[in-house]
Amino acid sequence: MTQKSKNIEASGYSASGRMGRVFEWLINANKKYGVEWWILIFGAVIILFISYMALFPGTLAPYNPLDQNTGPQLMAPGPGHPFGTDNLSRDILSRMIYGSRTILGVAFTAAILSSLIGIPLGLISGFIGGVFDRIFSLIMDSIYSFPGLILAIAFAAMLGPGVVNITLAVAVVYIPTYFRLVRGQTLSIKEELYVEAARAIGAKRSVILRKYIFPNVIATVVVVFSLNIADAIMTEAALSYIGLGLPAGIPDWGMDLAMGKKYLPSGIWWMITFPGLMIMTLALGFTMLGEGLSEILNPRLLER
Amino acid sequence: MPGFKDKSGQSSFLLSAMKNLLRYIITRVLLTIPMIFILLTLVFVILRIMPGDPVSAMLGAHAPQEVIDKKKEELGLNKPIIIQYINYMNKLLHFDLGESMIFKQKVIVPIKQKLPATIELTLFGMFFTLLFGIFLGAYAASKRRTGRDFAVRIYANVVYCIPVYWMGLMLQLILGIWLGWFPIAGRVNARILVSTFERTGFYTIDTLLAGNLYAFGDVMLHLFLPSLTLGIVLSGIFVRLTRANMLDVLKSEYILSARARGIPERKIVYRHALKNAFIPILTMLGLQFALLLAGAILTEMTFSWPGIGRLLMERIYLRDYPTIQGVIVVFALFVSLVSLIVDIFYAMIDPRVKY
Amino acid sequence: MKYFFTVLMALFLVTGFVFATGAKEEVKTLVYGTTEKVTDMDPASAYDFHTWEIFQNIYQGLLSYPPGKTNIVPGLAESYSANAKGDQFTFKLRKGVKFTDGTPFNAQAVKWTIDRVIALKGDPSWLVTDFVKSVDVIDDYTVRFNLKGPIAYFPALAATVPYFPENPNVYPKDKIVRNPSELKGGALVGLGPYKVVSFKRDEEVVLEANPDYYGEKPKIKRIVIRYFADATTMRLALEKGEIDLAYKTLNPSDIADLSKNSNFITYKLSGPYIRYVCFETSESVFKDKRLRQAFGALINRPEIMKKVFLNQNEPLYSMVPKGMIYHTDDFKNTLGDGNIALAEKLLKEAGYSKANPLTFDLWYTPSHYGDTEVDMAEVLKAQLEKSSMIKVTLKSAEWATYKQQWKAKQMAVYLLGWYPDYIDPDNYTAAFAGTSGSKGMGINFSDPAWDALFTKEQTNTDPAVRKAVFEKIQKMWTDEVPTVPIFQGNLYVFTRKDVRGVKIGPTLIFNYNALYFEK
Repeated sequence: MTQKSKNIEASGYSASGRMGRVFEWLINANKKYGVEWWILIFGAVIILFISYMALFPGTLAPYNPLDQNTGPQLMAPGPGHPFGTDNLSRDILSRMIYGSRTILGVAFTAAILSSLIGIPLGLISGFIGGVFDRIFSLIMDSIYSFPGLILAIAFAAMLGPGVVNITLAVAVVYIPTYFRLVRGQTLSIKEELYVEAARAIGAKRSVILRKYIFPNVIATVVVVFSLNIADAIMTEAALSYIGLGLPAGIPDWGMDLAMGKKYLPSGIWWMITFPGLMIMTLALGFTMLGEGLSEILNPRLLER
Repeated sequence: MPGFKDKSGQSSFLLSAMKNLLRYIITRVLLTIPMIFILLTLVFVILRIMPGDPVSAMLGAHAPQEVIDKKKEELGLNKPIIIQYINYMNKLLHFDLGESMIFKQKVIVPIKQKLPATIELTLFGMFFTLLFGIFLGAYAASKRRTGRDFAVRIYANVVYCIPVYWMGLMLQLILGIWLGWFPIAGRVNARILVSTFERTGFYTIDTLLAGNLYAFGDVMLHLFLPSLTLGIVLSGIFVRLTRANMLDVLKSEYILSARARGIPERKIVYRHALKNAFIPILTMLGLQFALLLAGAILTEMTFSWPGIGRLLMERIYLRDYPTIQGVIVVFALFVSLVSLIVDIFYAMIDPRVKY
Repeated sequence: MKYFFTVLMALFLVTGFVFATGAKEEVKTLVYGTTEKVTDMDPASAYDFHTWEIFQNIYQGLLSYPPGKTNIVPGLAESYSANAKGDQFTFKLRKGVKFTDGTPFNAQAVKWTIDRVIALKGDPSWLVTDFVKSVDVIDDYTVRFNLKGPIAYFPALAATVPYFPENPNVYPKDKIVRNPSELKGGALVGLGPYKVVSFKRDEEVVLEANPDYYGEKPKIKRIVIRYFADATTMRLALEKGEIDLAYKTLNPSDIADLSKNSNFITYKLSGPYIRYVCFETSESVFKDKRLRQAFGALINRPEIMKKVFLNQNEPLYSMVPKGMIYHTDDFKNTLGDGNIALAEKLLKEAGYSKANPLTFDLWYTPSHYGDTEVDMAEVLKAQLEKSSMIKVTLKSAEWATYKQQWKAKQMAVYLLGWYPDYIDPDNYTAAFAGTSGSKGMGINFSDPAWDALFTKEQTNTDPAVRKAVFEKIQKMWTDEVPTVPIFQGNLYVFTRKDVRGVKIGPTLIFNYNALYFEK
């Protein structure tokens, strides 16, 4: 038994060989990548924790988030209500826990939707080129250059409040992000030798796209996907905050924050502090995961 | 400006450089037009399929159907969308943003009234962004790979993830409500009559022009929290950018030789190196302008700041199509204009940019 | 460079603090804060309480209300009389009154104004066009209104803003005026105690005493109305002493805090505005009146008042608000509050059960009625779901969409509110349950027997007859339940200690000339 595994045994990880290997890998990765590795892990832990909240809120929340009889109105954080209660005497901690479902659900679905539209469009546009590419690029660039939030506001106002609608509004805004990324990558990979070679031996265009270009593009998409969820979280929260998000009856951080705003002059700090902290933490989790991933997968991508 | 370095003669070189630059500017401007056009089309379509009838909203519950129909005809809302679209674009080409549906007034009137507030907020926000971004970035670079460097980098990351409105609310709570140091809403004390000083709409300038120092001080106090909020939240990006650029510059021969000559490290970092890292920072400022505008909307909502962001939100609730479109035109123009200026600026400085 | 920025930042703060602390008091001005907005500066087009309030201070009606009262007294008319049938009203005008530019006020001016309102078809013009056929000038100081039929409450109508005489030489005949600057002379001067000297939309309106006012001169020479974007800002401005008076509309939490603060005087006005639930009664699931009754029984008004409004408003048990003539409390004795047993009995009769619950969307509009609307919707949902036979989904839409949806019968149940057009029980009942009014509100309730009652009450001037009719209608309301009343809004005015003379009655007319500073 080597010295190293003894240490692992001492720290209680030897029982199952698999856990030990995971731990060893973690340590090694730390040596290999440095600080970036811990940034990634930290982000992942935040995301895992909040995802757990979203998937099994019942196991954590002391109350039903809609229950209006959990105690006095506007009670400061204290025994029984670690985050206090709101103006309708609902338990804020429970609302935070249940609220994670809404924001994570919307941001995640929106990011998937926009990547599902943006990636194929970018691939095809970059691959085909020509007038088609020019027109699409122009459209996407116009949308991209415009402040995303304002566009999301317009869409959300058009669609009206509701979970599906807000998801669509957020998704539309981020299509150009994927389009531009994938198109750029496709353009450069298209010129690579192995693609030229495939073309020379008469491979079909669809095959080239699928077998040679797509797999090379997708690595960078992973990083952007994570960062994009962070952005989508911020956009969803902002829409809810200005009242364009969801109807009442669904716990949502942005809406709770807006609700707390009018109690600010009365010094009710707990109604604004916790929802904001939650939004920030969740966004931070995805940003850190994305940053960590980008350093590790592709150190040159986000040099700045 | 490397392209213009040689002032002694060689005017033909200068001339051709100018010509190239001019050509670049023209192409760049021409490219901006379709972009704005696409955005407007998109917004037009979004707004017209938006549910909600502005006419019945403005007329009240008592209005009989024939009055509603007449009003719709007056406003051209009964025509097919494509005709409405052509009419709108035609008007826009003549610099006419149309007339508000809810209030009988030209769209340009409220925009003109509220735009200065937004610009003032954005400019002061930018000031704080640069203040924090550049100094923390330069500081982190000079102390790289130390705990302090790491702390600044964490600041940059965390700040980037803070929702700007939450930052605003917390600052309001702490500095405004608990400590009572700053006013937390509006542009000026309600006792100061706006009509006594207003000229341009930029209150900082107007109060000075009117010689009302008391009002000027009050305006500055009101500006402090919203612009600080905007500034802090956007400073994250600039911290990272400045740090990265400074690291590059600090490695350059120019700095190495300065060091060799025994110039104090502080002076090297803040005077020589920072100057050189400045250009990419300015460029970035242009690129982040869209973000600044989006942040300004949320800040306006939080601080009851009477800018065009608030105007946009108010009119969205009322389904006042022409005003919503008008505000978005202004936003689009702004964003394009700033990116245009930055690009041209960059082209002038860096001759490697393809004309 | 570093120092440059540091110095700039220091300047920023220092200028702010140094200059801002050198405050000085100038002319004794009353600053009045509000979150309302001015629409059009034209009596022919403005149709909102705040703009009307300004007009009530810069103009005079033929008839008017004394400050804080609901009884109609002569204004610019010295007296009036109706013919026997009740479809002609003749007004004798006050003599010797002149507009500021010297134009005499006479019967021609009255006719000119009414004709203008009719011709311009502005938002409030229905208050004239629905009732008035024509106006005849009998002589210089006598004017006769020929009505379309007998109307018992015409004096109340004649006291509304569209009837206020304007200066024919200043207002354009064929155009609605939005800004006073569009007027000939550029200033808004009428026959009232104040005039508008400066107007800046969404910012401020400056009023000064009108030197040509024929009545008693106001004690406060200058009033500035400041417009706030939200209640929170206004509350803070009041607390910091930036405004002397705050009126419409503060949040319940602000009202609660300010009432406790001894630096301010609190006035509680029982306002005539009411909130209620509407049902689409012709096609939706709520065409079954038992379901409407069950809904009415489940609502617990005192709980809503306590939780959402911190007991600042009054529970309402009739569509006619308390304090108005002919009001009864019928809903209290029949359907009650939070009456789950009754509701479940009704639901069972209608075929619903725990296994087969009544499911519906409850609609509300998030900004039109202020920030408390979301809370009220949440509480209503919780109250309705106290019965396991009901499942509620909350839905919201912005005002413009909301309005379109009720007209298109897309909402089965929705929350609405009502500010009266004129102070009469008729305006609280016929507007919801009379066939034409009901259609406009999306309720689509229609019953010939009800319509007959409304006609009777509208055309009869005998108070005893009207009382009997309104009591009957209010009783019938608890059976048919075209709407369920929830509460009656109180309005709060806060002033600094030294401001006196706030008199606002149920008419919500706020006479600024009664205000004064306590020395």
